[in-house]
Amino acid sequence: MAEASSIPYNIRPNKVADRELFLSALSCFSAIENLKHYQYIGLGGPFLEDFKLIHIRLGLKKMVCVESEMNTHLRQKFNAPLSDMKFVHGAMEWYLDENEINEKSIIWLDFTAPGELVEQIMLFAVQASRLPIGSIVRLTLNANNTSLGTKEDAVKEDSSYRDPAKLKEWRMERFKGLFGDLTPSTLSSDEFTYKAYGKTLLRVLKLAVEREILGLPRQIKWLLCTHYADGQPMVTAMCRIAPENESEEVEKRIQEWEFYSTPNAPLTVDLPSLSAKERLEIGDGNREINLDYTIPSSKLSQDPVAMMKRFYRVYPHFSRVEL
Amino acid sequence: MTKNETVKTSPTKQFFVSMLTRDINLDDAILDLIDNCIDGALRSSGGRDPEYSKFEISIHVTEDKFTISDNCGGIPKDVAINYAFKMGRSADDNRDKDAETIGMYGVGMKRALFKMGEYSTVYSNTREGAFRVEIKPDWMQSESWDEIPLQNIEPRGNAYGTEIEVNKLTQGVSKLFKAEVFVNDLRKSVSEHFMVFLQKGLIIRINDEAVKPIILELLVHDDPKLPAPFVYERVRDGVTVSIAVGHNTSSAIDSDDAFEQNRDVRSSGWTVLCNDRAILVGDKTRLTGWGDNVPVWHGQFSVLTGIIEFRSSDASKLPVTTTKRAVDTSSDIWLEAFKKMREAMAVWTGYTNKWKNVKIVDRKSHWNGAVSKSLHDVIRTVIATRDMTSKQDGGIEYNPRIKDALPVPQSTTQSTRRISFSKPKSEIDRVAEYLFENTEVNPGAVGEECFRIILDEAKV
Repeated sequence: MAEASSIPYNIRPNKVADRELFLSALSCFSAIENLKHYQYIGLGGPFLEDFKLIHIRLGLKKMVCVESEMNTHLRQKFNAPLSDMKFVHGAMEWYLDENEINEKSIIWLDFTAPGELVEQIMLFAVQASRLPIGSIVRLTLNANNTSLGTKEDAVKEDSSYRDPAKLKEWRMERFKGLFGDLTPSTLSSDEFTYKAYGKTLLRVLKLAVEREILGLPRQIKWLLCTHYADGQPMVTAMCRIAPENESEEVEKRIQEWEFYSTPNAPLTVDLPSLSAKERLEIGDGNREINLDYTIPSSKLSQDPVAMMKRFYRVYPHFSRVEL
Repeated sequence: MTKNETVKTSPTKQFFVSMLTRDINLDDAILDLIDNCIDGALRSSGGRDPEYSKFEISIHVTEDKFTISDNCGGIPKDVAINYAFKMGRSADDNRDKDAETIGMYGVGMKRALFKMGEYSTVYSNTREGAFRVEIKPDWMQSESWDEIPLQNIEPRGNAYGTEIEVNKLTQGVSKLFKAEVFVNDLRKSVSEHFMVFLQKGLIIRINDEAVKPIILELLVHDDPKLPAPFVYERVRDGVTVSIAVGHNTSSAIDSDDAFEQNRDVRSSGWTVLCNDRAILVGDKTRLTGWGDNVPVWHGQFSVLTGIIEFRSSDASKLPVTTTKRAVDTSSDIWLEAFKKMREAMAVWTGYTNKWKNVKIVDRKSHWNGAVSKSLHDVIRTVIATRDMTSKQDGGIEYNPRIKDALPVPQSTTQSTRRISFSKPKSEIDRVAEYLFENTEVNPGAVGEECFRIILDEAKV
């Protein structure tokens, strides 16, 4: 089964843009904390793109890459951007359980498989409650609503589920069964469409985190939450762990960052597929565009020009290099 | 010889308040206040069958303040002066002797106010007029149990009801009220505990959002030859005990799908009601008999729901603890009912055992045309359409197994067994690639294809 992480980035522009937003969020945060002494823990994929960029852009040197697949783990070691990077062969959940993290860290739990959403969300929530104050945690989740059950599964149970409205309700019931006490108390079946499901997962995530930190002398402050779809729809959530008595000034500065977003109001990153010429024509989306055709909207049905206006600074540019 | 002297024995206010608030959670304390509103609605309807859709309760929680307001009739002035602010119920307080309320000890409101903060205001408007009582921080801090002034005031609007406001919240309470997860959980608790009232039309809003009830219903056919729940009803010592156990309205399951096996259907298991309050919802533990002459609950039983209701105009006879949120398992009325609960559930666990290896579509066909009904409607339907058996204990019962009304699978249907095992993903991918030239095939399909290939070889 092809792993999402090994699919070339040039056919995952939204993922690339999302990563740029992540780096931008860390840059914003670096105005408050000196990130040079942080450690970065992540999953990496075979090419360690995230690690490279974090080292180059932010200067972090202490990095830990955790990988469960042996072959990928060996490729990572070969592709290491830094000679003293640590490579761990094992599951991320195991690594975080076995190793007490006592220093400020940035952890990105970049999960792609839809099958273990509850475990993934709980792993994130537990880290939010355990990591040292000043740390940052980020989670990527697969937000494909068909992971709750395909239409075929539903129709096998009852042919009435051919009706899209009933199918949504069926998925909502399966969601409630899956998430149990984590389920938000106000849910409607409209939250289980392809476009809306990601935001529903972010609601669950927010509640799970709040529950884990209740009573602890810390606060969770959200930084960046995104919703995008290259192949599969995905959502991300990034938070910083702040002291209980943090000055309001700090949060005020963070909220001034242009891509500041929360689980209740995530950024939809739905970049249109454009040629270089079209991109030059649209530019930053703020001038008159001379195209006698419409640019089709992408999977999350956002207006392409509005998307360019918002995200032109992080829109990826790919070029071919011959070696 | 020196004169005999006396020693002081009265409790300190600090001790009393501290002990009172210690043994209840914050959300349970808020549920107590809602209970009081509902009791008010019951009293203003003469103690019986209020039209709940006319009543509304509104709760607002913020990090600075708590308010609850209702239009449930208000607190009469004489009750406020003589009973409502006393710590504990007076022997001569017979307000609810004929009403099916649940309050017993006369501490719910005070306990909630003290739990939340230092400064409370209670406003009430009734036919006799409006008043306000303020419990101020200096009263809380003083040792003496001074009477608190009651101010007669002009009514705010025409509705007869009560509004309670708590300010100067404790730090812990303020933090909880600020957390979305607390409000989320409170909403869930309200939707469960007051599900019957909400289904009858009562409106409860939390931070302006109406709470929806959990729907607890069982499938029943009107035709007496077709399936119906196990039903039992009995009156003992002024308590009516009603039981119904049967098929709930969730999707039937019988699948290798691990999702289904781990699914927690909220309404499955036992729900215990006392005077319309849900004390337990969807209990799947030994407390309600699972694992005790009845199998331990698991996914196969997610289609089963048991509902037991205890109803009495004397709340002290109900099998409920002082917090009103747990069953008093040592009470005689519970111990007796428990045996019947196990008997009723065993009928239905046996039913699911017979059907567990049969296709869903065959099982569901017996429920086509069945209607989902609440506990009382189920009991009324069964009593009206079926022959009930009179039991030695004075109760009446309908047992669908004894009455041969539970469908059984046809013997010609071949029974199936489940094969399941785990293998490393890399090996599954390799086999999928080999069989289908595609690694994105469902592991179940890979296993089935392997079985099919070997079965064909075995048949040759």
